[in-house]
Amino acid sequence: MTDQIKINVNGSEISSKPDQLIIEACEDSGIHIPRFCWHKRMDPVGMCRMCLVEVETPRGKALVPSCTTKVSEDLVVDTESDVVKKAQEGVLEFLLINHPLDCPVCDKAGECPLQDQTMAYGPGESRFVEDKRHFEKPIPISEIILLDRERCILCARCTRFSDEISGDPLIEFIQRGNKTQVNTFPDEPFRSYFSGNTVQICPVGALTSSSYRFKARPWDLKKVSSTSNCSSVGDSVELNVSQNKMLRILGEDNEFTNQGWLSDKGRYNFEYLHSDKRIETPILVKNSNKELTINETMELISNQILTSENPNISFIVGHNSTNEEYYALNKFAENLNKVENENKVSTTNFYLSDDYLYNGFFNDDYSLGEIKDLDSADTIILWAQDIKDNLPTLYLRIKQAVRNGKKLLIFGHTNTAIKELSEEYYGENIVTNNFEFNVDLSDIPNLSKYIDGKDVLAIVGKASPLQNVNPIFQLVKHLDQNSNLKILNCFSKGNTLGALQNLDIVKGLNEFVTEFDSSKKNIVFTVGSNPVNNSIYSHKIKEALIDSDFVVSLDLFKNETTELSDIILPTTTFGEKEGTFTNLEMRTLMQNKILPTPGSALNEWEYWLILSNKMNLLESYGTEAELNSMLCKDYIDNGNIPSFDNLNKPSNLDGILNSKTINIEVKNVDSTNLEILFVHRLYGDSSSQINSPSISMLGSERFIEMNSATYFGSYMLNSDVVTLIQENNSIQVNVNINENLPDNLLVIPINRRGFQDLNPEKKVELEVAKSREQLSVT
Amino acid sequence: MSWEKALIDKAKEIIDMYPQKRSALGPLLYLAQEKDGYISNDSIVEISNLIGITEVQVKSVASFYSMYKEEQTGKYLLSVCKSISCEINDSRSVIDSVKNFTGLENYETDTEKVFTFEEVECIGACGGAPAVQVNYETVEGLTPEKSLQMCEWLKEERPEIIVAEELQEKFGGVKSFDWAIKDNTGSSYSVPGFQNIGTAKEKS
Amino acid sequence: MKETLLLTKHMREFPEDSHQIEIYEKNNGYSALKKVLKEDNPENVINEIKDSNIRGRGGAGFPTGVKWGFLAENEDRYLVINGDESEPGTFKDRILLERDPHQLIEGVIITCFASNIKKAFIYIRGEYAKPARRVQDAVEQAYEKGYLGNNILGTNFSLDVVVHLGAGAYICGEETALLNSLEGKRGEPRLKPPYFPAVMGLYNKPTLVNNVETISSVPWIIQNSGKEYSKLGVEGSTGTRIFSLSGHVNNPGNFEIEMGQSFGEFIDTFGKGIKNNKNVKAYIPGGASAPWFTGDQLDIKMTIDDVANAGSMLGSGAVVVMDEDTNLVYAAKSIVSFFAHESCGQCTPCREGTTWLEMILERIASGRGRLSDISLLIDICDNISPGLDWPPKMTTICPLGPSAVSPITSLLNNFSEEITNMLPTKIPITQ
Ligand SMILES: Cc1cc2nc3c(=O)[nH]c(=O)nc-3n(C[C@H](O)[C@H](O)[C@H](O)COP(=O)(O)O)c2cc1C
Ligand code: SF4
Ligand code: FES
Repeated sequence: MTDQIKINVNGSEISSKPDQLIIEACEDSGIHIPRFCWHKRMDPVGMCRMCLVEVETPRGKALVPSCTTKVSEDLVVDTESDVVKKAQEGVLEFLLINHPLDCPVCDKAGECPLQDQTMAYGPGESRFVEDKRHFEKPIPISEIILLDRERCILCARCTRFSDEISGDPLIEFIQRGNKTQVNTFPDEPFRSYFSGNTVQICPVGALTSSSYRFKARPWDLKKVSSTSNCSSVGDSVELNVSQNKMLRILGEDNEFTNQGWLSDKGRYNFEYLHSDKRIETPILVKNSNKELTINETMELISNQILTSENPNISFIVGHNSTNEEYYALNKFAENLNKVENENKVSTTNFYLSDDYLYNGFFNDDYSLGEIKDLDSADTIILWAQDIKDNLPTLYLRIKQAVRNGKKLLIFGHTNTAIKELSEEYYGENIVTNNFEFNVDLSDIPNLSKYIDGKDVLAIVGKASPLQNVNPIFQLVKHLDQNSNLKILNCFSKGNTLGALQNLDIVKGLNEFVTEFDSSKKNIVFTVGSNPVNNSIYSHKIKEALIDSDFVVSLDLFKNETTELSDIILPTTTFGEKEGTFTNLEMRTLMQNKILPTPGSALNEWEYWLILSNKMNLLESYGTEAELNSMLCKDYIDNGNIPSFDNLNKPSNLDGILNSKTINIEVKNVDSTNLEILFVHRLYGDSSSQINSPSISMLGSERFIEMNSATYFGSYMLNSDVVTLIQENNSIQVNVNINENLPDNLLVIPINRRGFQDLNPEKKVELEVAKSREQLSVT
Repeated sequence: MSWEKALIDKAKEIIDMYPQKRSALGPLLYLAQEKDGYISNDSIVEISNLIGITEVQVKSVASFYSMYKEEQTGKYLLSVCKSISCEINDSRSVIDSVKNFTGLENYETDTEKVFTFEEVECIGACGGAPAVQVNYETVEGLTPEKSLQMCEWLKEERPEIIVAEELQEKFGGVKSFDWAIKDNTGSSYSVPGFQNIGTAKEKS
Repeated sequence: MKETLLLTKHMREFPEDSHQIEIYEKNNGYSALKKVLKEDNPENVINEIKDSNIRGRGGAGFPTGVKWGFLAENEDRYLVINGDESEPGTFKDRILLERDPHQLIEGVIITCFASNIKKAFIYIRGEYAKPARRVQDAVEQAYEKGYLGNNILGTNFSLDVVVHLGAGAYICGEETALLNSLEGKRGEPRLKPPYFPAVMGLYNKPTLVNNVETISSVPWIIQNSGKEYSKLGVEGSTGTRIFSLSGHVNNPGNFEIEMGQSFGEFIDTFGKGIKNNKNVKAYIPGGASAPWFTGDQLDIKMTIDDVANAGSMLGSGAVVVMDEDTNLVYAAKSIVSFFAHESCGQCTPCREGTTWLEMILERIASGRGRLSDISLLIDICDNISPGLDWPPKMTTICPLGPSAVSPITSLLNNFSEEITNMLPTKIPITQ
């Protein structure tokens, strides 16, 4: 619908999209109507009444809320009449009679619409001589959010957000009339993955985050747009920095990706940047953690490579590097193969530290979709990791699409958190606990109704590290034959796609483990990854690293992996470096630098450059920008140029879609009789989260999930504590009952501390405390 | 205290009457109130599970309506009307007399949990002003003296079931209209006596 | 002047058991339904209602036939009977529920038949425990006799009725708030547009919402034809209405009369005059929301239009008479605090405005008024109901907020000295 209609506002004609709300149409033409409750991403409620305007009706002029009234051809609107002004001043006065005058100590001061509008329209002095409404001053409503009910103006933004957008209505209006207040249930805190959004959209300082409270004034903040690497959605964010410290991350409204929303992990996972545990100088671990200079370290490493006999060089890479860094690493590896001496490097290999890697659908047989296809597809098919945990903001988009009438079909039993959104949930009757189809695809009930001849967007990815992926290929093939199919490949972590795009051939951790040959000379680089934790292969990787000859870790913190390294090189991260990022739809987005580099840390690419130089391998770049233009030149074939120049503009949120095919070489893991499902949960024990005090405790509880009804015949309770026993290793964990899980399935969040020593291929015994039965599973 | 099976069965029966589960929320809150004399947090948890909404959503609805109580009520909920017709017919002195006898302020309950006193808005008995409800059974045409006698009687007799006709006969005066039909059903706690939610009781 | 008994005839004739189905049946009860089912022409039923020109008895006075005509097509449609009667002064639905529930149920069945509705709800305010019991009993009797349930009286028509109790919230009388309440939500009015019940009502399906008295009139209209009904009363206010009379009269009660007679006559004839032979200082013609008339305005005719033209509304048909000794500041305060207490709290002007008005009146009544309070009261009222006109304009979502303005403007327009007398320094009001 591109037709425009004409309306008349304050005597001049403006054009508007049909069906738009008056407030939006005016906004688009630069006419600002004051408002508190209206938010463009949520249903209007018309509650605050600040946006009243006058419109002409057959029965004369009428006052209507512009946030709930749609435009119509030739509508005559007055946003400035005396009646309008009077009504707005009236509303403002009403809001202020119960609002505390604590701007000097309020976090919102300086960016508070109520404060701004009081300046602009407000009454000079109060006519209210009565007592204001009183509530207990800020009360914590979760580990990270505080609520000050006295400041609340009851705009229902937070309650609507949690109900409509995030779908976990844990904050609500209590009481009625003048006693109305917003609150949570006493025993059920505001424990939502998305709670921080309510702080951002609260028009006053009623909701605040513990991490930002009293930290800064808006006018002291330095701001820059960037892209979050919390997940591969590539959420647009605004980084707020004061005195070289990151204080806050806000969501930016990017139509293509996050539409302004962030998960709490994406929002609060930044305090680690300034942790005093950051590594700031190179460390020689095997020499009682001696600190070295960069030069000494580079000398050591290049000597190792040059003097080793036919070394195998492995790079275990993480997902927090920029495209430019992966590109530089790739160049470095290419060059290593050209080392001219008698001890030629025998192989170089890239392994991505990601248990969910599989070959995906990056070839010309299928067309790749975009996130915004969610808004136009008829049917959404989901076969992926628990989307709410792994791609939280994509989950919000899916939820919104379902709200708008799109049909969601879910395969497998991992997406239990969003089961209620689905039109069809093809659980254990269709897909076994082992992820095999139980039925012929053409016999799946109702499937053809939703796909035949329809526009279908399939969101696919491995549901669990150990999943056999053949059924995914089967399903996609079936969909492709029957519908207009587009595919979103779900590799959930950070810049995974950037790694895949820029490294020649990428393999998974499973390949590292199987290819590892301890009889050879092994040099391993871990690049921003901690494979000794968080992976189902952790225990084997640990053994391999112990058996390696030389291990170099590029990282921010000491962790399980660096303990086994010879050398740790301090690097930079999000906010400290500039570069591009490729999200799951292969959209290239910009990450910007706003913080200085800590200590003597260097960007990853700088290490590769120095090492090359040390080994007399010539590289032709010297800056990130030069790297970027080299990278762009390689992309030119595809006509897509994700250059700094065309990305690094403040308004350019849409990025550039790239269609470079990528090479992944991952073998299918075949796990028979899978009754333990390994998954990743949003919060875990990554170094960044552990070192961000505001959210560190969110990932600390260790639990397993299962349904209550039967676990091999035993009735489980939420309060149960069980012990997992494997050989000489035993772990005590809490049980979280999840009734949406099929019987006899144990879900283990592998990214929580304490599970890394489990060997997924060996038997685990499960002992129920309170001397209940002894259970045993494989 | 979580709900017993009989209560849960009753709740499920009520839920089945409606096209959508959530519509049963109001009636289920009455069940909770009849059980404890108020809406306890345990009942909120129970109801939220039965209906499939969050606890705070249940709380949000419960706290909106004045008949769902947040604190335990006494055996007899005395609701004295103060709206316009009663106001101009001197409901003030009826209120004072009830307050005097019970020693309670608005929304208070005595320590023995016999009485809860509240001033309420119009109860649809304007013709028989001033009017009072005891456990939602209406008495019309009260005087300060009669209301005092009524409180005394309640305290002495402790009737299990409150029936409007009985109260009216003993303590009432002018009525809104001729009640005509004799009734012997009423309520035994601070909930309206209503068949469908099983709170109506018959006095033999 | 005398009563015309349509709705209250049966209960008058059989005072002891008008609520029993056998008695109702014996006296022509359910014969309108039988007639309708026999004729099997839903269209005709709607036409009879249109012919009757009956206007809704819930307060807004919208023509019922027209409303039925608006109901959007859909597989699922609902009828919701508004028995939330909570407007101070009103107790007319109570008598219909308590003493003649079958008349209502018969009206419900006919209405559903006319509009092809298969599920109806009777929403009764929670405080009406006894009336609700009577209706529930009657519904069960009707099921037993085959008037409700599957294949009513052997026809293809089926209907289920659920009696639902409110829980103490006046605002649930507002039809969209009522629907929210029936959906198990907070009783907050919805936005109109888009939530017009006839299009997006209960569970977002087309829904008819009608008052108890409105639907109780349906059997008579069907029995006697819409044309006969329209001959009663006067043009624009046809038929009879049950007026609830209360306040300082000798004989309060519900009286069913044809519209068109004067308030003075009504109060004299049925109220048997004012207690202790006093004079009327002011009276409320249509429930607490309606602006007051003075003792000098007793000859206004009791019709929807006459009352509206005189600057008030016939509303819920509740006449509250205040004698010469009434303290009108207290009276106004009582009404304002009613609305403050009953505001749902969604919209700012109503939530904050009504409470602020209440606080100021409270202060004045306790002798702590200020000279500036009068203009402040007026300005707050103006911010809730711009222009203080009748019918009121509003800055609010629903008319509850502006209702709290009525008593204050009534007081200030006609009895300003009562309030100035309470101020520490008396001043005349110049507006
Ligand atoms: C604040 C408010 C309170 C209302 N209370 C009632 C009520 O108690 N009973 C009622 O029947 N209508 C009440 N109404 C009117 C209803 O919204 C609606 O117009 C009526 O139920 C329609 O039925 P009718 O057309 O048969 O009159 C109220 C309206 C408002 C704005
Ligand atoms: S006017 Fe009052 S009652 Fe009506 S919606 Fe607004 S707050 Fe609620
Ligand atoms: S912005 Fe329109 S009413 Fe609040």
